[in-house]
Amino acid sequence: MEAEVKDQLVSIEKPELIAPPNWEPVIMGILCNWCSYAGSDLTGTSRIQYPPNIRIIRVPCSSRVDPWFLIKSLQTTADGVLVSGCHPGDCHYISGNYFARRRFLVTKKLLNFVGFHENRIQFSWVSAAEGPKFAKVVNKVTEDIKKLGPLHLYKKENFEKK
Amino acid sequence: MNYTKQIQDIASQLFAEGKIDVFVGYRLNGFDDNQVPVLIKDPQDVHKLVFTDKSVFNLVNYLKTDHTRRKRVGLVVKGCDSRSLNLMLTENQVKRENIYVVGICCEGVTDDAGQKMQNCVDCMVPDAVVSDELLGTASGADTLTYKMNADVAALSNIPLTERAAYFEEVFENCIRCNACRHSCPLCYCAKCCIDQETATLYNGANTTSAAFHALMTWSLHLAGRCVDCRNCEKACPSHLPLHLLHKQNESVIFENFQEHLAGVIPEDRGAFYKYSLKDPDDFIM
Amino acid sequence: MSFSTFVTDKAGLQKFYEAIMASQETYAPVEKFGKFDFKRVSALAECDPESPIAKTMSIKPLFFPRTAKVMKFVATSAGTDVSEVDEDPLAVKRVILGVKHCDARSLQVLDKVYNWDYIDTDYQNRRQNTVIISTRCDKADTHCFCTSLDYDVENLDAMDILVVHGTDGKEYIKARTEKGNELLSSDVTRHASPVTEEITAPVLKSQYASFAASFRLKMNYKEVNEKLSKIFDTPEFENVSGNCVSCNTCAFVCPTCHCFKISDEKIKDTGVRYKSYDSCNNGYFTLMAGGHNPRPAKYRRWRQRAMHKFVYYKERFGENLCVGCGKCTISCPVNISIFEVVNQVSAAAMQE
Repeated sequence: MEAEVKDQLVSIEKPELIAPPNWEPVIMGILCNWCSYAGSDLTGTSRIQYPPNIRIIRVPCSSRVDPWFLIKSLQTTADGVLVSGCHPGDCHYISGNYFARRRFLVTKKLLNFVGFHENRIQFSWVSAAEGPKFAKVVNKVTEDIKKLGPLHLYKKENFEKK
Repeated sequence: MNYTKQIQDIASQLFAEGKIDVFVGYRLNGFDDNQVPVLIKDPQDVHKLVFTDKSVFNLVNYLKTDHTRRKRVGLVVKGCDSRSLNLMLTENQVKRENIYVVGICCEGVTDDAGQKMQNCVDCMVPDAVVSDELLGTASGADTLTYKMNADVAALSNIPLTERAAYFEEVFENCIRCNACRHSCPLCYCAKCCIDQETATLYNGANTTSAAFHALMTWSLHLAGRCVDCRNCEKACPSHLPLHLLHKQNESVIFENFQEHLAGVIPEDRGAFYKYSLKDPDDFIM
Repeated sequence: MSFSTFVTDKAGLQKFYEAIMASQETYAPVEKFGKFDFKRVSALAECDPESPIAKTMSIKPLFFPRTAKVMKFVATSAGTDVSEVDEDPLAVKRVILGVKHCDARSLQVLDKVYNWDYIDTDYQNRRQNTVIISTRCDKADTHCFCTSLDYDVENLDAMDILVVHGTDGKEYIKARTEKGNELLSSDVTRHASPVTEEITAPVLKSQYASFAASFRLKMNYKEVNEKLSKIFDTPEFENVSGNCVSCNTCAFVCPTCHCFKISDEKIKDTGVRYKSYDSCNNGYFTLMAGGHNPRPAKYRRWRQRAMHKFVYYKERFGENLCVGCGKCTISCPVNISIFEVVNQVSAAAMQE
């Protein structure tokens, strides 16, 4: 893991792209309304701390998440993405997360194939009762992405072509 | 592989019986042995039709144009083309009764240099899976043993950074002409999502970032549907290896979901329209 | 006044190119994925000034980039602040190597429209600061038809320096403009020796003769132009455009197509307005606010393309917009040839 992280940093090759001091990652959190969003709520009401790097967006179901959301967030401001939904079998819409699961795998593999570290695109199942798990997940994702450093691949603000 | 005579006979018979309004096939381009698609409306032009191993372009693309919409069409399809036709039928884009399909048991087509095309070497479905009339002898090829694309396998094995650099070059050389999308038989949307004008959401400009966004979105919309006919690569003026994205998706789908290839089974909508309780779950926390 | 001419051998030409690369900012065809595109180079090993015409993109993007910034904007509580973009990276002094005659000609044609009612200063700057070194082809490609059009390929003065591979095995480097003459008078030509017009003229003539004889496509331009201008309503356009897939590639690779669209790229409150290529073969090209589309059908778009190239531009600016490079035909996934289209349509008109 360490070696790979170093790889990614070396690949950047531009001095201004190495993480500045006090840099904090921006993580796009896309949470399903019925489980994960309620789970994150429980984390807060249980007074469990988790990093503020995650920016949460509520969607009706994890199958609402178009792979395009991930591409778009990686292309604009996010350094990583976390998508979270109900555990298999618990979906409010019965089978939404099963459909989503297939899409997530293909999207993750494709983004990894074109050069994004696999830790930048993460998924989790968090139920409404799993406040501590949500905190653990966000902690892990934030830590992973902190290790990887800022994302510069295909960022929209690097407007110019070489 | 030469079905010129048979196709001419079929076409003239169809015109004589009044079964079709237009026949979509190939003709010689008039100066070398390469071929171009042709839409025959007049029975007298039937003699122009040819079919050899130079009949490369996927003609299912023409089912989405004004020339064929709401008309009865005769159509020549190879193995890969027939899969895309199958998907067009399943997705209710064309009516089966309006199309007379001449299926070919394809032995592989050749590129400009006379080499057999790579997708034909790796082809798992050479015989037309949907047809009213099948020409040639069915090869009975095995559609269940996945042949991993060599380029994808090679790229998957190199370090992430090198792969990132390679794809950065791909996206940088994209000129955003969208020819890949227009030549794709399965991109039939009246207005493509990557062509919308909304500034915050979509990218109209031709930056590396926008090319990344457009090609990734496009390939994910075709995931589980791409039939590997390589119309996109033939159309790309920058000669980008677009098949890499599609084959990567296809291999993930094939290996992880135990799905058959897109469009092989009629009425099958592809991997993303169904699920299995046994789908891999280990990548999710 | 007469401009200088130099003669050298193959190695000398290489050294000439190398000397230019050492002293000037140079652009030359660089191969990527089997296609040559003009990029910034610093060594001859990176590029191929003799790139095959069928696999080379045009030089248009160096003057009219595929994407150019128009302005930057920031939304504030008081309104929107608009600012100028950074300095144009293409406006510096530079040399382009390995330009084909058709590409060089395309700039001459484009100059007319860029100097028309609105003077595009960006284009002018890029044009003025560029020295174009053009190599004459030895042999026409399958889809070339530059000699059939309204310009004189042999005495073309669109390039600043002309390089000809003489039939006698020598390389001739000939200045065609003041700018080219100035570059040749510097020490980049230290590996070549000056020659007089009397020696070079017959060699160039015989080289051109063998080049002109290698064309597969020939047409009577005057006749085609005349007929096309009279047959706007011919149904033949519907036949010739039948197998077009409206993929837009033709316009994107064309050295003279100059239509563009405007798009904004935005993050949060800041953004950039871009000018990027567009194509008249695109179904939305003429789509107006409110939903009316004057050219919804493919044949109407094709008619516009063919007529703009061969009639309208000629009427307005006195030049044919098509330069006969064949790039559109090569890039077309279904090999529709603009040469065939205009010939077929005008021939059909004759029968009527």
